[in-house]
Amino acid sequence: MNFNVLITGVGGQGNLFASNVLATYFMNKGYHVLAVDTIGAAQRGGSVVSHMRVSDSEIYSPLIPVGKTDILVGFETLEMLRNFRMLAADGMYLLNDYKEPTVLCNMELDVYPSDKNIKEALKNSGKKGYSIKATERARQIGSSLMTNVVMVGALCQLSSLLNSDEVRQVVAAKAPPKARELNLKAFDAGGSLMLEAMRQPVRK
Amino acid sequence: MNKEYLMGNEAIGRGAVESGVKVVAGYPGTPATEILEYVSQYPEVHAEWSINEKVALEVTTGASLCHTRAMAVMKHNGTNVVLDFLMHINFTGVRGGLVLISADDPGAFSSQNEEDSRIITYLDAHLPVFDPWCPQEAKDMVKAAFELSEKTELCFVVRPVMRVCHARSPVSVEEITTVSREPSFEDDRHRFVMSAVAEPEAGGVLRPVLRHKWLNQKQPILLQIMEESPFNHIEEGEGNIGLVACGTGYAYVKEAEKIMGKKFPILKLGTLPLPKDKVIKFANKMKKLVVYEDSEAVVERLIKELLYDKNIRIEIVGRSGFLPTEGELSTSVVLRSMAALYPELEKLIPATKVLEVETPVRVRTQCVGCQYRGLLHALKLVIRKTHGIVSGDIGCYDAGSFPPLELQSTIFCMGSSIPIATGIAYSGNKQPVFAIIGDSTFFHNGVLGLLNAIHSQLDMVVIVCDNRTTAMTGFQPHPGSDIDAKGQPAVAIDAGKLALAAGATSAQVVNPYNIPEVLKALNKAVKEKGVSVVVASCPCYLQGRRTGDIGFTPRKVSLDAELCNGCKVCIDYFGCPAIHFSNKKATIDQTTCVECGMCADVCKRGAVK
Repeated sequence: MNFNVLITGVGGQGNLFASNVLATYFMNKGYHVLAVDTIGAAQRGGSVVSHMRVSDSEIYSPLIPVGKTDILVGFETLEMLRNFRMLAADGMYLLNDYKEPTVLCNMELDVYPSDKNIKEALKNSGKKGYSIKATERARQIGSSLMTNVVMVGALCQLSSLLNSDEVRQVVAAKAPPKARELNLKAFDAGGSLMLEAMRQPVRK
Repeated sequence: MNKEYLMGNEAIGRGAVESGVKVVAGYPGTPATEILEYVSQYPEVHAEWSINEKVALEVTTGASLCHTRAMAVMKHNGTNVVLDFLMHINFTGVRGGLVLISADDPGAFSSQNEEDSRIITYLDAHLPVFDPWCPQEAKDMVKAAFELSEKTELCFVVRPVMRVCHARSPVSVEEITTVSREPSFEDDRHRFVMSAVAEPEAGGVLRPVLRHKWLNQKQPILLQIMEESPFNHIEEGEGNIGLVACGTGYAYVKEAEKIMGKKFPILKLGTLPLPKDKVIKFANKMKKLVVYEDSEAVVERLIKELLYDKNIRIEIVGRSGFLPTEGELSTSVVLRSMAALYPELEKLIPATKVLEVETPVRVRTQCVGCQYRGLLHALKLVIRKTHGIVSGDIGCYDAGSFPPLELQSTIFCMGSSIPIATGIAYSGNKQPVFAIIGDSTFFHNGVLGLLNAIHSQLDMVVIVCDNRTTAMTGFQPHPGSDIDAKGQPAVAIDAGKLALAAGATSAQVVNPYNIPEVLKALNKAVKEKGVSVVVASCPCYLQGRRTGDIGFTPRKVSLDAELCNGCKVCIDYFGCPAIHFSNKKATIDQTTCVECGMCADVCKRGAVK
């Protein structure tokens, strides 16, 4: 078994927490786990990519090789599009329909891709995937900071390798006690959003 | 044996603690920062964020001279700062095990430059270097380094790259062996007084030459150690093209094997000096060698030299041209190189899909709520009026050099801002000069530039961005902070008072959130003679909000679309990421806004309320 998840987003969206939850879940099951994050230069607002790799045999590179990502997770739209070439031939994407404009887009020196262009490009890629409004849902629950947990909840419904109840327990254990209830609420909301999205015709 | 899910940096720290390290000193810098943070949790370890890396290595050497195990931690830029001292302890040697962690950042993900610190530490200083391929090996190497440092009396270097420092994986955790060793100091001036003095016992040979000889005599001993080292090995495989996999190169070569379903002949290397016999044994069976290393052709050239001497004539390629000559290694680099060597393997490279959509780049900027956005906005207005030149330095505020503000005209390395401004002033150029430098950088290496400038009686404005912490690397204290690396109270040095004591014309302290106050101070400073210092003093917002120690009274703001005329001052002269612009109007994203309210001072139309 080999399972590679690439989580893309912007600084402050909580990539690391999501990656750590998945890593802990698979380690508890006795798998090899190797992960790495691009962190450092920016505290907030820069592109952040987390590689999370699982296997039943030894993993050597912490970086997922190009074209070997099983699930590409986008906490932010542009950041997912930027890393699309990382997807495997039969890989899937899970997008949070949320856009954080870049400095250059605000200055009107760049153009943030339009919904129409994004939809078309994703369709033409031939890849299977889903788009959910995780940040919007997180905000309704109480905090946009819960976007990452909503996305983890959704991911559990998407991948047969993830047992939603067991991942939920990991989230409960890793969340700060104060925010435990909110985290679990976000996790469950993510699951519902995903089930809802899966009932829609698959975007292919 | 227990396993813990550790980051490479934590594994390195754990290795040191298990080795009984007592003194660890360093200066924060990605990718090495978490090493010292990890060891500082242990009460038995004296952990220090030193003023700079040279001081860190000197402090740890002092401990080593008392037979105490010690470790200095830094990134490659810090190793540059250390070079002078390094070129002396290589001659003197050490007593208690001394390990230097010099972390490299191939690909420059979080650095101002890209370099390979094996060149300084091994080729220049001739110190032994370990180059780990994964967190577990990094830990094992640190433990071996302490043992071998005492055995050889040499400082050992471990050079992890970012992907090792930041990788997370289960790592074996062993018991912490408390090396019960009483510190003691014995004089040995022939060793530890480095001076150009004649040594009577050596027939008048000068001491530096004698010590140089001592270092050279260590090389055959090191060679023998590396020959037997568990960090180098040979793996059999098909074909006669040998893959020499150094450090992380091993991770990517093994990954490529997995993807291609092949078994290549591999020489896995993790040490300098090279295990010469192993290299020769491997090379003898091959027609060609490909050397994978981050990031310069160090091992490639050493193998060329070795095989030339042994009269073995085979082709050796690697980072000198066959592989990319800059950037980090990756599985893709290995796969492409294998396809170039064996065209039939091309089809095994995973197919990729590029989206038919443009993806604009995301340029780094100040955080939402950062106090320096107010300072930089005010400076931008002053520069527009005075046509001044701004020389910059290393730290968060460097984002002021990127669009939209594009303030700093130069950024080099730690502490360069003030000397560069000094040179611009000396040139006779008539524009006023401003140097902008962060507090941690100011103490690290900037203060000497300031003293130099004050002494030279030039006119300039020096802005010290004082947020009481090293924010860029995640809030490590520095000599201007009132706590130390272990969270204990410390003496905070006041940059402004220091400047005044040295003879600066003035040292105005301003709150960077207060844009009118900053403007007033800068306008006064630029008119003064001599070196005028402006200290923009306020705790880092990200850190301060945890304790409620922030420099503004929160104020909920929104944008009145009727009043906004789309002038974009808030975008082009301020650039807060919480302000979005579309359809010729600015809007405030309430999700990311932290209510600092500075944009209300920036908007001249009164549209921000």
